[in-house]
Parts: sequence; structure tokens; C-alpha cells
Amino acid sequence: MSYYLYLITSVGGRAGFGIAADYKERNKQYASHSGDIVKFSFIYQGQRSHAKALERTIKTQFADNIWVVDDWKTEWLISDVPMSKLQSYVEELINERHYKLELLTTDYDFTQGEVVNG
Amino acid sequence: MAFSFTYREVIKKPNPMVTINPLARGSNKTVGLQDRVDTLGKSAAWKKTIKDWVNQGLTFDMSRFPKVAMRKLGDLDIDEDIQRALDEKHCANKIANPAVFDPALLSVCYCILNSKGKFISIDTQHTVSTVAALIEAGLVPGHTDWREFEFPFHYIETDNLAFARKAFGIRNGKGQKRQSQYMQLRTSVYVVRIDKDLTDDEDVAMERKVAIAESHECFPIDETSNLSKYPGTFTNISTFKSLNDDEIDLACSWHNQYFHYENVHVSLFFIFRELCRQFKSAKLNITPKLQEELAALVQNLFGNLSQFQESVTAAHRQWTEKRYGYQANWDDDAYACALIQLYQHFGGKEKVAPSLTDQFDGLIEFFDEDIMSLAA
Repeated sequence: MSYYLYLITSVGGRAGFGIAADYKERNKQYASHSGDIVKFSFIYQGQRSHAKALERTIKTQFADNIWVVDDWKTEWLISDVPMSKLQSYVEELINERHYKLELLTTDYDFTQGEVVNG
Repeated sequence: MAFSFTYREVIKKPNPMVTINPLARGSNKTVGLQDRVDTLGKSAAWKKTIKDWVNQGLTFDMSRFPKVAMRKLGDLDIDEDIQRALDEKHCANKIANPAVFDPALLSVCYCILNSKGKFISIDTQHTVSTVAALIEAGLVPGHTDWREFEFPFHYIETDNLAFARKAFGIRNGKGQKRQSQYMQLRTSVYVVRIDKDLTDDEDVAMERKVAIAESHECFPIDETSNLSKYPGTFTNISTFKSLNDDEIDLACSWHNQYFHYENVHVSLFFIFRELCRQFKSAKLNITPKLQEELAALVQNLFGNLSQFQESVTAAHRQWTEKRYGYQANWDDDAYACALIQLYQHFGGKEKVAPSLTDQFDGLIEFFDEDIMSLAA
């Protein structure tokens, strides 16, 4: 069963990340909470353990870029770190560390339904 | 059946910890108290506490500020309902141990001064008892009567024994910030490396363990350290300390060879401690081929040891439920057993200690299907 790592752009333009078994449902939840359509700028598909390992790596080794509010480490980046930097970091990790994940789609929101072959 | 996985090399990048490792040398840095005041001023937790003070109209009560004075030991009583019974061995073997005793390391005497002019000890009875008994034994030059010996007393004036009781609890753990395992390790390492003091066997042994880990670019750090973003760092000091030198050497060299880009996950130490001990008992070697194939298995199935841990603990929960009808406590030995059982399941042919395949028999049947179906 596939698992997904998504890179999200908030309504305000902040870059973030997360993992999900059901990317469509997860995207819908973001829309519900933010009151707007929210884009998953990139969705990677692959092995669950590798998606989780990659997410953990972002949290630990990309720590200087994580947005921390009141000592709470969020799954969003500080505002001056663009999505392009997060995406190239993720690509680098996948290529260099051989994580079994591949790009499924870009610029996704739940209104698009399931991605073909997703 | 050939072994299912191949380890794919990950290009090694220079690890900043090699040059910034705080244990390699002291910082040679002192800061003024202002530095700490500034740190608190930026802390969210501190700001909330200050807000609570203001909202509750609290201010620092100077009448409760403790006093410090040199007073005679003969003026001191010990309330047996507050302090524990005297631990004679603690006095004899710890405080007065000739190998470590140093008057400069003695604590002040914590006490209250009641309205009758009597000092009641609320802590450090072992220290003052030791000093008094050393005088009694004629070992303190110039002093023959301990009752007349002046000692630093730290006290507040009160008749409230409830305060004394609570103060004893705080001084002895409740509410006290304990020294972390890392801080204890750092002290041992600095004593050897900076002070060049090799008189304490435990310090020397600890420094040697750290040096072995460092030689493989593995670095102990404090739990709250911002160095945790660097590969090779680890925080579970107590498990690290439980390994002998050879076990640390193999665990850390394996990490550095195959997972140098990851933080050291605590399961690494549990796995290699168990592998080394079981293989040694079975008079078997953990061959380079076996090491590489285990790395290939972890890399392909789990990505890293952190995910391996997540999977094996979930499998262990289900295994105990099925076997015993309830969820038994986690057992650290399961890491190595599961790894070796997975190794054999996926076609590993190197000789392994049989005890590792017997224990937790059938555990790998409880790993998720999506993992067990991943053979290349």
C-alpha cells in the first residue's frame, strides 16, 4: 500500500510538510481548517517506512528552518524559507539516501480527486 | 534463495560535529550572568511564568531570603521525623572515602533556626556527621571538640516544621533539577581531557568509551542540545554506557559505515549489545558480510533504524497479545532477535547465534504485510 509525503503551501504562502495514507482526505482537512482551498505543491508516493523516515529527517536535520511557536515545533517552515528550498532538500534526500519515493503530482488540491495511478 | 537486498552506498559528507564536538575540548568560555538573564528573557515558558507572577500580584519576599553564617556544629539538632536515618556507609564510603575526600567539596549545612535559637538540620546531615566524626577521630588538625567547630549554615528563621519537611523533599529530589546523564558523562570526559586527571577509573573508562564512539564520528550530546540536527549524534547516554568497549566499537563503526547520514538511533546500541553477546556465547563472528546485509535490510525495508524501531515495537505488541492474551512490556532484546529473524526470512545465509532465532519465535509474522512483501 502506498504512502504519501506532501509539501504544502499555506494560504498565506508558508511552506510545510506532512505524511498521509490518504492525501485527498488530508488535503480536504486542511481546506476545512483554513477556510480555503490549500495546495499540496508536491506529493511524493512510495513506501510508508521511507516516507516516515524522510519526514523525521526534515524534522531533525532541517531543524534550523522549522517554524517554532511558543516552544512548539510545527510542521511548517519559517516564513523566509521558500517552498523551492524545501523541495530541493527533499529531492536531495530521496536521491542521495535512496528513499523509495517518487513524485506523484504537483499543485494538487482535493477538488482534483484521485491522481491517476495514485 | 539469494539474500533479497543490496546496500546502496550513500555519499559521505563532512560532518560538522567533527570540528564542533563540545566534548573534544572545553569551550574555554565564561559568560556573565547577563547571558543567562537574556536567555530567560527570550524563553516563552519564562514569559508565561512572569505573567503569572504579575497576574497574581506576587513579588519576591525578602523576609524569606535565606541567611548564611558560620555557626558551631554543637548548635545543630537533627529532627528524625524530617531527615532519614543516618546511612553510615554513605559517610564512610562516599563522603570520607580517602580516595575522594576533599573539604572543598563539602556542602553547606541546610537548616532552619527556630524561635528558641536552635538550628534544625533539614539536609546534609551526612556531611556534618562526617565532619564531626572526623574531628572526634582526631583527624582535623587544631580541632578537638566538634561542638565548637564552626561550619557554614544556610538557614531561614521559622518555627514551621512543615516548611522544613518540604524543603528536605526539594533538596533531595522532589522539584530538584537533576544532573543529566550527559552532564555526568561530560564531567568524566573533561576531567580526563582538560584536567589530565587519570585518578578515577570510572572517568577514564567513560572517556575511553566516548573516544571510541568519536573515532567513528558518533557523538553523545545533551537531550536538549541544538546539535541534534547533525548526523552521528545521540542522546541516550545510559544505554550507551551499558555497552563494553568492543560493543561500542562495532555499533558505532557499523553506523558510520552504513548510516553516517543519520542521527544514531538508540536501538543501534541495543541491537549491537545483544548481537555481540549472543554471537560471543555461540563462538561466532559478526562477519563483514553479515554487517553489510543487515544494513541492506534496514535501508531497504525501513529506511533507517528509527522506522525499524517503530515496526518492531508494533509487531512485539501484537506478538505478546497473540501469545499471552495481553500486551506485555517491551523487551529490548527483541530488536536484535527481530533483525536476525528478518535477515533469515529474506534469505540471509551467514551463520547467526541460534539463541536469537529461538527467542521471540514467530515475531516477524507480526510485521506489516507491506514490509514483508518488499523483497526485491
